[in-house]
Amino acid sequence: MSSRAFAYRAAAERRLLYALVIVLAILVMLPFIWLVLMSFKTNDDIFAFPPKLLFVPTLANYAGLWASSFRYSFLNSAVVSVSSTLLALLVGVPGAYALSRIALKHDKPLSLIILASRMAPPIAFTIPYFLAYRWLGLLDTRIGLILIYLTFNVSLVVWLMRSFFDACPRSLEEAAWVDGASLWQGFTRIILPLSGPGVAATAILCFVYSWNDFFFALILTRNQAMTSPVAVVNFMNYEGWEWGKIAAGGTMVMLPVLIFSVLVRKYLIHGMMTGAVKG
Amino acid sequence: MATTLTARHERLLRGAANAERLAPERQRFYWRMLMPALAVLFAVTVAPTLFLLVTSLTPLDLTKPETTADFRTPLRNFALLLEDRRFLNSLWVQAKLSFWTVSLQLLIGLGFALLLHLRSSLLQALRTVFLIPMVLPPIVVAIIWKVIYTPDISPFHWAMQAIGLPMPALITDADWALTAIIIADTWEWFPFTMLMILAALQMMPEEHVDAARVDGANAWQLTWYVTLPYLRGVLLVAALFRLIDSIKAFPLIYILTDGGPGSLTEVTNYYGFIQAFNFSFLGYSSAITVVLVAITLLLSWLTLRLVGWGRYVE
Repeated sequence: MSSRAFAYRAAAERRLLYALVIVLAILVMLPFIWLVLMSFKTNDDIFAFPPKLLFVPTLANYAGLWASSFRYSFLNSAVVSVSSTLLALLVGVPGAYALSRIALKHDKPLSLIILASRMAPPIAFTIPYFLAYRWLGLLDTRIGLILIYLTFNVSLVVWLMRSFFDACPRSLEEAAWVDGASLWQGFTRIILPLSGPGVAATAILCFVYSWNDFFFALILTRNQAMTSPVAVVNFMNYEGWEWGKIAAGGTMVMLPVLIFSVLVRKYLIHGMMTGAVKG
Repeated sequence: MATTLTARHERLLRGAANAERLAPERQRFYWRMLMPALAVLFAVTVAPTLFLLVTSLTPLDLTKPETTADFRTPLRNFALLLEDRRFLNSLWVQAKLSFWTVSLQLLIGLGFALLLHLRSSLLQALRTVFLIPMVLPPIVVAIIWKVIYTPDISPFHWAMQAIGLPMPALITDADWALTAIIIADTWEWFPFTMLMILAALQMMPEEHVDAARVDGANAWQLTWYVTLPYLRGVLLVAALFRLIDSIKAFPLIYILTDGGPGSLTEVTNYYGFIQAFNFSFLGYSSAITVVLVAITLLLSWLTLRLVGWGRYVE
């Protein structure tokens, strides 16, 4: 085969591969796209048969949703997720730094706790928290949710930030100590400013995990502290099947997550494998 | 330690001596920083798990206050579990669900990773698109599939009817319900295995591939004899991660089938949820959950052994 013919065949193969991948991508995304489209359809269009691909988009579903109590649950989701993330960072970041610098002889139990707390089925935490909250009066409160989200957020922060700190050379803070900085200043003035991107990525992952939670919020809240994933589902149970609102609610719940995930896509897998991979 | 403006070398000498002397102090300082994190981690994860172990030894029933701290027959829940047909069935459903979802996610993830493993800006962009199912809130995934599986509004049902193959409503059909969950779960999580495999592929040493090329291997041989053996480790870890995660399956089952029809899609996690929060048998449900936690711990420990406890392995 001449080199030109070979190059031609390689280019043809590549085009074929691209076509295949694009078709697959569309196929994979279809269920997702369908839900988003549905959120802009009128009820008649949703039940149209055959389904309408071209339709006049409407914002009525979103308007109806926002007029309902859904907007309070959206606010709850935001407050709870942000608070739990900040709290976890406050406790976890210094801990992760210490863990990265300390000579810890037996850190296997800690690794197991961190991995297992990310892996345990949520019901394992829900039963004891439910009993404790019933006694403490924390059921259906934002504080209750903020605390239970720490079960995964603290592990996530400690593990991710440790690997970021491991990547910061010790010589940096050692130089600062030689120049007379205190141990604490070495951390706050030298290392922490360098870890900005790491802290941001970690914070986003914590936020996404908290925002996505369904099980804890389902069990531990009724209406006061209900988060938006639970509120969307309630459109299925109590107010009949309002598909337009369900689709609009689903789209709104996923919007912040999609934006954030694209921002931190580099760290996604790392975060999901918390506890089991080297940073 | 305030910084004063003395001669630079003097300061350096003193600083170095300080750093030496401070080694034990440094160790204490790190411990002080670590303690709050460890204390919180213990309080929010270990203590509740111990509490769960305690409640699993009682017949705790929320409707009967006297059962709260009744330790007269501590192992009764576990004895009951062994004879509980519904519990044993839930383990079997879980095994089927885990087996199929993990297998399919590995196969499809591998297929997509091999397709996407080319340096090209188009494929790079598509990788981000393939992330979507995995990062969506699980409840939204469940809603998406509820739409697909509801004949009135589903493009899937319409398409099948259009080509002359009308389908029953999958999630209420005894033959299809579990399959419907498996399909949705596979859709949600194949990007995870795909991304892990892609990451491993990017670190594959070029020499291996080049050497095989020089020996005249074609693309299929290259994949079979070079790439796949190289990926064995990452496939195993990905499988374990998905296996442990599959035990948590909840939103899909809650929204799509509610464990039904009958208890055909009732996995152990879901059965525990029903016992605790529909029947209010928290003691019994704790026992079910203890079994799940034990399985999780065992699998986590296995995973950590495989990857060398996280940080000491290159």
